Amino acid sequence: MPETKVGLATEGPSRLQAILNLSRDAILSISLEGTITAWNAAAERIFGYAPDEIIGRPLATLVPADRRYELASILERIQQGHIQETYETIRVRSDGIPIAVSICIGTIGKGGHVTGAVAIVRDLSETNRALEAVEESSAKLNEREQMLQRALSALRKTHEAAKSTQMQLVQAVKLESIGRLAAGVAHEVKNPLAVILFAVDYLKEAVPNQDENITVALTDAREAVIRADSVIRGLLDFSTATELTTDLQDINALVRRSMGLVKHSFTKGHVFVVEELEEGLPPALLDRNKVEQVLVNLMINAVDAMPEGGTLIVRTRKDRMVGGPDVGVRATDTFRVGQGVVLIEIEDTGTGIDDKSKARLFDPFYTTKPPGKGTGLGLAVCKSIVALHGGTVKVANKEGGGGARATVVLRSVRPEMEVPRDG
Amino acid sequence: MDKLRILLVDDEPSFTRMLKMSLERRGFEVVAENNGAYAHTVAADFLPDFVFLDVIMPDVDGGEVAAKIRCNPKLKDVPIVFLTAAVSKETTRVKGNMIAGQTYLAKPTTVDEVVRCIEREMKKKAGAKSA
Repeated sequence: MPETKVGLATEGPSRLQAILNLSRDAILSISLEGTITAWNAAAERIFGYAPDEIIGRPLATLVPADRRYELASILERIQQGHIQETYETIRVRSDGIPIAVSICIGTIGKGGHVTGAVAIVRDLSETNRALEAVEESSAKLNEREQMLQRALSALRKTHEAAKSTQMQLVQAVKLESIGRLAAGVAHEVKNPLAVILFAVDYLKEAVPNQDENITVALTDAREAVIRADSVIRGLLDFSTATELTTDLQDINALVRRSMGLVKHSFTKGHVFVVEELEEGLPPALLDRNKVEQVLVNLMINAVDAMPEGGTLIVRTRKDRMVGGPDVGVRATDTFRVGQGVVLIEIEDTGTGIDDKSKARLFDPFYTTKPPGKGTGLGLAVCKSIVALHGGTVKVANKEGGGGARATVVLRSVRPEMEVPRDG
Repeated sequence: MDKLRILLVDDEPSFTRMLKMSLERRGFEVVAENNGAYAHTVAADFLPDFVFLDVIMPDVDGGEVAAKIRCNPKLKDVPIVFLTAAVSKETTRVKGNMIAGQTYLAKPTTVDEVVRCIEREMKKKAGAKSA
């Protein structure tokens, strides 16, 4: 076969020469003293020295100054005939640029004597560059993945925020339409109510009080008018609960004033009142009348929840928001992290809130009170007033039961922002 | 002592009728007018001691009627109270029955409340005169 002939024809020194010249790795030989004695084409390409420039020069020519310590050990082991190893190190090119290499070195000899060594040097720069490129790509991929993850989570958050904003909008539109309707209807309904009330009062005075049924009928009619009027008033509160006239308020003074307004109900309902008002609270920017309306409402609810009497605790304290469902950086979050707030808590020892009512407490027209006692608008109005102040109101059962607690959280103002009283 | 003369101006005849009957029972002399545009001429003729005015009426608003009544030199100090469904009881209670310097009474109200309002305003007027 022709191939065999070629193979046979390339036997001998020329084959070795071909291997040397075809090799992509540098192949060089050194003498026992460390002088370079042979140099192939790849060595010239890797190190930049032509054979006639390097042959006869010391191996140290290829070793950077900070690696010279390797030389003595290598030469010593060559001389002892022990060396046969592969290692990675740094060598230096003719233009002074260091290159990463992998060196395979082994001794050679003649007639049982070690005459020197042969080294095969592989340029690792390309491999390293490839590796670096791979690492770089992988890092970039990681980065992109993280970016995608971040984008995804931001998207999720935005979606949540959008959903919650939409719900708030729907609610706002609902309330606004109730408000508009209320304002329009109120005027038309209040006039006939006024007529009925005058008529009932007139009849009560004018009709001789002999028939007991007449008295009952007139009393019922009068109460019905007052009830209808309170529904209309509740509705009107929606239409007027959109604007605030705020100034800096001392929360404790405001709480005490509100308690004063409900004092009669406390006495009538056999309710013992405990005041736990923290001194030195920061002021808050509030519409005094509207917040009083909220507190009066919550206290009346508490009294109504204790038909047999009980204890009502009114507590105030300051705090800073650190976490929770209403705290964060989204536009829909009520409070920032670190926001200074004042809390007003109203606790009763009543029956608490049943599971059915929990979700509907703040819905307009939802009430658990007997007919005539409540319009179901009190808490809805409270919520809309507190929300206008950038605060929250929550009503929940006390931990361990035995009554409910209403908590109003309002943003406080740093005392230094307070307008100085004297000039 | 002469009866106190009250002028009621409201576009709702049943309202003025009921209030007139109720106030007459309590010893007041009452004239009711359901057309706001004529109110000042009726006032000039009747010369009331006290005026209750509706705020929102079909052709004219209570503020205009009040200004026209007070244009009459004989009525420049007559107490005028707006009796209206346009404000809530809470507003009038919290603001001490005053909005923009004007006394209001929210509908619906009771005759007792109306009478208390007349007494209070007449006392205020008397105090202002003696001062």
